[in-house]
Amino acid sequence: MDQASGAVKRTEVARRIADELAGCGVKLVASLPDNWISELLVHLDGDARFRHVAVNREESAIGLCAGAYMAGLGSAAVMGASGFMTCVYAITKINYSYEIPLLLVMTLRGAFGDHHKHHISNGLYLQPVLQAIDLPYVIVSRAEELGEIGRAYRHSRTFSRPTAVLLTRDLLR
Amino acid sequence: MKYLDCFRFLAGRRTDELVVTSAGNSGQAWWAATRDSERSFYLDASMSLATMFASGIAAALPQKRVWAFMGDGAFCMNPGMLMVERQMNLPNLVHLLVSNRAYGATSNARLPNVEANDYAAIARGCGLKQVHKFASIAELEGGFDAAVPKKALGHTLVVLEVEPLSAEEQKLEQPPFDGPEMKYRFARALERDTGVSVIGYRL
Repeated sequence: MDQASGAVKRTEVARRIADELAGCGVKLVASLPDNWISELLVHLDGDARFRHVAVNREESAIGLCAGAYMAGLGSAAVMGASGFMTCVYAITKINYSYEIPLLLVMTLRGAFGDHHKHHISNGLYLQPVLQAIDLPYVIVSRAEELGEIGRAYRHSRTFSRPTAVLLTRDLLR
Repeated sequence: MKYLDCFRFLAGRRTDELVVTSAGNSGQAWWAATRDSERSFYLDASMSLATMFASGIAAALPQKRVWAFMGDGAFCMNPGMLMVERQMNLPNLVHLLVSNRAYGATSNARLPNVEANDYAAIARGCGLKQVHKFASIAELEGGFDAAVPKKALGHTLVVLEVEPLSAEEQKLEQPPFDGPEMKYRFARALERDTGVSVIGYRL
């Protein structure tokens, strides 16, 4: 894929992710960046369907989204895999203790195709950590699978705990 | 000022505000002062996320005023929260920073840099405009209503300089709620008061 068509693809994927979020009632998005979701965050900034809050650290997104839920506002936390790894305490303490749903949208760093050595730890431990804390997740590799975002959101409401959608490099780059 | 005197005063000034407490002492003191189990959310052991949690509530319900207590122990774990609070600038949110200069929930253990920390200056440095500080009950009684008006122009932060709870006061009852009970009590009351749907189904 050349540079121009890659950019078109990333913009289109960002738009479709935003549509999926809006479609399941998300109105507040709290985020921290990851290079793979740069286009998505730019899109969210300009999309009037959302209040997009850039937070100082990923745990703040967990707190913000939990509060939004408690007042009836649909929300999602968007972050990189590394950011998620800093959130285990906040998620287990707030979302698990109080049974507060949350949709996490994050990058699947460290998997095949990610050539950044600093994500080896995520490749080794991201999915095992999700499994260790019994956090249901789905991996989305193709645009045709983005409907999983809505399913994950709805499942978090049924499950009364967080669910996660992990976006791959093949989808985002 | 005495921690419990401060909370008794605030409980007396509260009208219809929703309240979020931080771990440990602020939850104990608010529970002792109010026995409120529906319009207060006792966010136990969130380690610095009480005001973010409250920000989510305030963003969802601009017609409701929200007070969020946070101890300075929690604050020191995540002072960058003020950048998010300033950016959101929610006029219906008041951050009540309870400065007892100790980790009150863990037997008043020592805080880092405790003598020098100037929380009001940190807040101003993050761009907050409505920043107030009260160090005595007389100051609080004289200035609270002006500092925390019913209609504010933007996000407000109030630093409350209090003495740590004594060993005897530390024995105050913790709010006696399991997490899910707290969630449902708060959510059902909010649904009843505002008409919003939180849980997703009605009883």
